[in-house]
Amino acid sequence: MSLATLTKNWEPMSYGFLDASAKREIRRKMLKAVAVPGCQMPYASREVPMARGWGTGGLQVSLTLMNPSKRVKVIDQGADDSVNAASIRRFLARVSGAPTTLDTLEADLIQSRHRIPEEKLREDQVLVLQVPNPEPLRPVQPNMSIARQMHADADYGRMWLQLYEQIVRSGRVMQGASYPSLVNGRHVMTPSPIPRWDVPKLHMAKHLTILSAGREKRIHAVPPFTRVEPLVFDDVPYKVEDHGDLTCNRSGAKGFFMNEIPQDDGSSTYEISDSEFGVKTIKQAEGAPVEFGETWYTDGEMSS
Amino acid sequence: MAYVATRGGERAIEQAERLFRAEMGEITDARVAEIKAAMPYLIDRVMGEASLYDEDLAALALAQTGGELLEAVLVLRAWRTTQPRLQVADPIAQEALFTHRRISAAFKDIPGGQVLGPTLDYSHRILATDVLNGLSFKPAEVEPAAQPAPAYQPSVAAWQAENDLVDLPPVDDTAPEDIPDVTREPLLFPAKRAHTLQSLARAETGGALALGYAAMRGYGQAHPTVNELRLAEADIMVRHPNGTAFSAGRVKVSQAEVVSKKGEKLELGFAATLGWNEVKCISAATLDLNSAGAEKGSATEEEFFIYHTEGVESSGFCIHFKLPHYVTFQSSLDAMRDAKAKAASRKEPAE
Repeated sequence: MSLATLTKNWEPMSYGFLDASAKREIRRKMLKAVAVPGCQMPYASREVPMARGWGTGGLQVSLTLMNPSKRVKVIDQGADDSVNAASIRRFLARVSGAPTTLDTLEADLIQSRHRIPEEKLREDQVLVLQVPNPEPLRPVQPNMSIARQMHADADYGRMWLQLYEQIVRSGRVMQGASYPSLVNGRHVMTPSPIPRWDVPKLHMAKHLTILSAGREKRIHAVPPFTRVEPLVFDDVPYKVEDHGDLTCNRSGAKGFFMNEIPQDDGSSTYEISDSEFGVKTIKQAEGAPVEFGETWYTDGEMSS
Repeated sequence: MAYVATRGGERAIEQAERLFRAEMGEITDARVAEIKAAMPYLIDRVMGEASLYDEDLAALALAQTGGELLEAVLVLRAWRTTQPRLQVADPIAQEALFTHRRISAAFKDIPGGQVLGPTLDYSHRILATDVLNGLSFKPAEVEPAAQPAPAYQPSVAAWQAENDLVDLPPVDDTAPEDIPDVTREPLLFPAKRAHTLQSLARAETGGALALGYAAMRGYGQAHPTVNELRLAEADIMVRHPNGTAFSAGRVKVSQAEVVSKKGEKLELGFAATLGWNEVKCISAATLDLNSAGAEKGSATEEEFFIYHTEGVESSGFCIHFKLPHYVTFQSSLDAMRDAKAKAASRKEPAE
């Protein structure tokens, strides 16, 4: 045995870009995040070859979870072909050798910005959500150390007050995406900015969701079969976007979250936001064999 | 297959990057060497903000990004992530710095003397337009002083401490490898002293200046006097596995001590960074000076200035707004339209 057999040749970067110490830290913080659902765990957050705010948090988690047999799907605003999704997918594949897919059913790991796919995720799948701002209290308390204390005290009074004021002023809760939600009855989280349409998909879901904010250096998680309840008053029910009756102009899919496309004549048409689901619908219409997974929504209604 | 036809994402981003790089053309080692020779202060700034001392890599980063500073810093920081940590160098005290420039605004003269060193401070800022007409600009030769200034100088604060004018911070004898590292552990508040100083050392120069200037103009409690500003070179002393200490070379460092009167004593603010960057050090030291007891949410409060002078994070977040946001936008539109419809239905007169 020579020294050479015990050592590795110098390489310009580690497998999966991050070095072992960075991955170890992220694994530990993910375990903590799973142990205390919805609670934000601070982590060092290394610099990666992408700009902060462009999915570096999700990327670090994906890089930690990747191995050559994990099949990865990356979406941005629901679309696999969005430029930043393409860039992240290419990077993940390049540094880990992992196969990629566009099909939700085939993916082991899904990194997503601002959407949860329309097909139900399974126990063996992990969803990694990119998070720009992990702090639901930011609108009422921009100082992070005070907000951290408020979480520790479960002091969410100002959060409730803000929702109440919106109802008084505008007749409804004006929160668009990232609707504040109580996780496991204890921590309020901001569910990345997924639309309200997607929040119920996290409630008692079979899959693990890791939410990671690289710039803000916080990881939180929704473990499988965990309660995720949007903050609502007893007499003002939670309302998802009014998309249940919309039909995709290109695929004909109906009853899912849509992108509104303004038209020259002042009207709008709609396209399904989950792009691959749209592609499958088109393929099916063309007679190609396509496998659809069960969807969270049926006929525009969340099926329980 | 309408969808497939629109899948130009990967091709589009590749061509967009090519278009950007086409403007800079071929990058050769000669170009990198020229950038390194011609722009030492830019190299210093980039190395400081990247917290990575390597002039060649910094020059390469500038060449590769066409001088887009925040991108150059990001490239270097991302490269830094991939590097193993082989050694932590010995701590170095101020009096052991090989000093090129050291001035104090607090006293007319100081032990060791005022050493101006290299500076543009007293130059007339006149553009040498003749260069554009083919007459090259040849700087006049430096005439060395008969007596060179001593290369090693005590700190001004040390003299003040001897005279009971300032309380120096207690000596921190943390072993080098145990010093908290803000790039490898979470930043929490109140921040560890090491995290604060490291964050200021890595701060984006313009950001540190903006907030430091706000403090200087009056949004801070303490008015800074530059006790000492120093440009120097520090020996990087590391240890061979057999225990022998040796110098791995020298790095340029700059540091500023600013003081302000607080009761019967002077209060001290400090900042240091890799490379020579005077504006950043004075600004950062002013922020440090003002941070004790600063109100939460004020520009001189530690959490506020550490977060908001972080150049890679702030610039990244700023440019991320270019990414599509149509899902979140659609979600907001839905809430707005519904609220509008509700308001309209309320306004209808009762029959």
